[in-house]
Amino acid sequence: MSTSFFLLYLRRELLRRKRQAVVIALGLAVGVGLVVTVGAATDGVQKAQVAVLHGLYGIGTDLTVTTAPPKSDDNSKVVTPTDTPQHHDFLGPSMGLGVLDAAKLADIARVPGVQAAAGGLTLTNTKINLAAAKDVKSLPIPTSTTVNGLDVAHQGLGPYASVKIDKGRSFTGADAAARVAVVDSAWAAANKVKVGSVLVLANKRFTVIGLAGQGQNAPNIYVPLGPAQALSSFQSMKTLAGRVTTIYVKAANGAALDSVQKNVTRLVPGATVTSSSNLAGAVSGSLASAAGLAKDLGRWLAIASMAAAFLMASLLTLAAVTRRVREFGTLKAIGWRSRQIVLQLMGEALITGIIGAALGVALGFAGSALVEWLAPELRATVAENPGSAPPEVSTISGGGVNTRVAPGSTHTVAVHLTAPMTLSAILLAVLLAIAGGLVAGSFGGWRAARLRPAEALGRVA
Amino acid sequence: MYRLSSVTKTFKKNNQLVTALDSLDLVIEDGEFLAIQGRTGHGKSTLLSVLGGLDRPDSGTVELDGNLLTRMKESEVTRIRATTIGFIFQAFNLIPTLSAQENVEAGLVPLGLSPDERRERAQEALRSVKLADRGHHLPSELSGGQQQRVGIARALAKEPRVLLADEPTGNLDEDTRDDIIDLLEEVRQRYRLTMILVTHDTSLAHRAPRVGVMRNGLLIFQESPRPERRVPNWAPGAYADDQ
Repeated sequence: MSTSFFLLYLRRELLRRKRQAVVIALGLAVGVGLVVTVGAATDGVQKAQVAVLHGLYGIGTDLTVTTAPPKSDDNSKVVTPTDTPQHHDFLGPSMGLGVLDAAKLADIARVPGVQAAAGGLTLTNTKINLAAAKDVKSLPIPTSTTVNGLDVAHQGLGPYASVKIDKGRSFTGADAAARVAVVDSAWAAANKVKVGSVLVLANKRFTVIGLAGQGQNAPNIYVPLGPAQALSSFQSMKTLAGRVTTIYVKAANGAALDSVQKNVTRLVPGATVTSSSNLAGAVSGSLASAAGLAKDLGRWLAIASMAAAFLMASLLTLAAVTRRVREFGTLKAIGWRSRQIVLQLMGEALITGIIGAALGVALGFAGSALVEWLAPELRATVAENPGSAPPEVSTISGGGVNTRVAPGSTHTVAVHLTAPMTLSAILLAVLLAIAGGLVAGSFGGWRAARLRPAEALGRVA
Repeated sequence: MYRLSSVTKTFKKNNQLVTALDSLDLVIEDGEFLAIQGRTGHGKSTLLSVLGGLDRPDSGTVELDGNLLTRMKESEVTRIRATTIGFIFQAFNLIPTLSAQENVEAGLVPLGLSPDERRERAQEALRSVKLADRGHHLPSELSGGQQQRVGIARALAKEPRVLLADEPTGNLDEDTRDDIIDLLEEVRQRYRLTMILVTHDTSLAHRAPRVGVMRNGLLIFQESPRPERRVPNWAPGAYADDQ
């Protein structure tokens, strides 16, 4: 068919049926806008989850290997009020974490599909001031500081990977055995710590070399692994030399992840090997509820609205074909082939779909802005230590005679929900709207192609 | 030349079988002007549809210039409609969004002409119906007679050999009706077209050398008041019924 005539006829018909074209385009736009908004909100929730998890487990880590502590040693400390006030300063592996032999690192690094593996030590420094027994009226709240010992040769693995140095400097290879520390900027501000300050951890002095911006759930203090392994002050674990609490593993590629996970599990019996998708499941709180909502209700809402938009566009197009029966009958009578008429209809539907796509993208932007504006602050609760199940209760228990101090357990952080519009979301909107237009056009085209010219002309003559 | 042999076409209407064409035999010579009259529902439009390849008979054969329309594929019949047959409708059937010239061009689209050639032929066709100065007008800006002229131009532009006109003056006043029928006769003679005209209007029908009346699916021929222009024909079934 002549392109110039096709375009001329297309333009004239769309202008003639402006209202109908706008209604179909708007229907598609609403469906597409909803799909895009739900998609953006889901994306935002996932990003929030990832942000929460990255602060703890690090960007670029595919697997974490941890082990539970022996039942006889849950890294907790029992403090009993006495006649005199007490001050306690404990430092040891965080709650729920056992220790692994660092020699396992070399074995894991040799597993096919493993690109890199690094050990880390996650410690918690807990301080508590306990009044004399006669003066205890309520249970005191301990203060906890998380300390992460990292392998400075593998800074891209583990929670340190998400660190951005705000002031000072990061670790270098020369710092492997040095008592230096990089401190979370927010924690530093709250504790009046600066670059050059000296921190005392289990009676060892560490010089602060840098302040780091990072996620809300990240460790407070980073120190090199070697000095960290010399810090334990728990009686039952006099030394952590040659021990790590976590082994961070990066797979060569996503496809190898499953086999790496299986092989590592076999290599370290009794250990928990956790992938990032497992970790996402460990997030609880309103963020997890939002993720569930976006995944389930949002997805079905989007599918239903898109289906409704497709149906509406198809019905309106069919109705339009019915109104144009004489026109198509005439065209067939003067020699137009069915496929030329179908092409004409598909062209009109395509343009309507493109208009729907443009409006849908605009609605998607508006919807995502609305989500960001209206969304309440979400809370995410995650296990402080990768691989360990988040304990239900963490702090202090007891009834005035014994006070149990548990050094670390879960973190609950506030997360602001965003609904970012991405290029892929925009492309999805365009494709969906065009598909909607073409589906509608196909129904119309099918109807027009089946039209018998004698019947079409006779119906109105 | 058209040759119809034992053409039968039936329809179901309100669960009853209606015979629109009943074993019809008909020959229409090249260049002949045949008028067909008859009451509504007696098969006039069905005959025109069968002649134009818009509908297929239940049985019998329809032959146009040696081509058996009844045995051709739909695409081949469409091609014949595009090149050989011009339709003129009672309600003009112009596309309301296209100008007069563009409506005429619509009839040339199936021929695959270049845009320039299409434009030139459309302008020429509009000139032949004396509407050269109305090419840019939309149908809604034209009178009924002018719209029918555009319809005639659309049929003529493809340079057909056959014109099938279904009540071409049915929607026009008396003066305009005469203008249109004069125009049809003029172009028929100028281009030596075969013309089959379906009409209720007896005075109009009697301008044709041969007039047939459709009655219950049968075509009955009667003497024309213009015998001098009558073209020899052969229609044994119809004549037999007429006796």
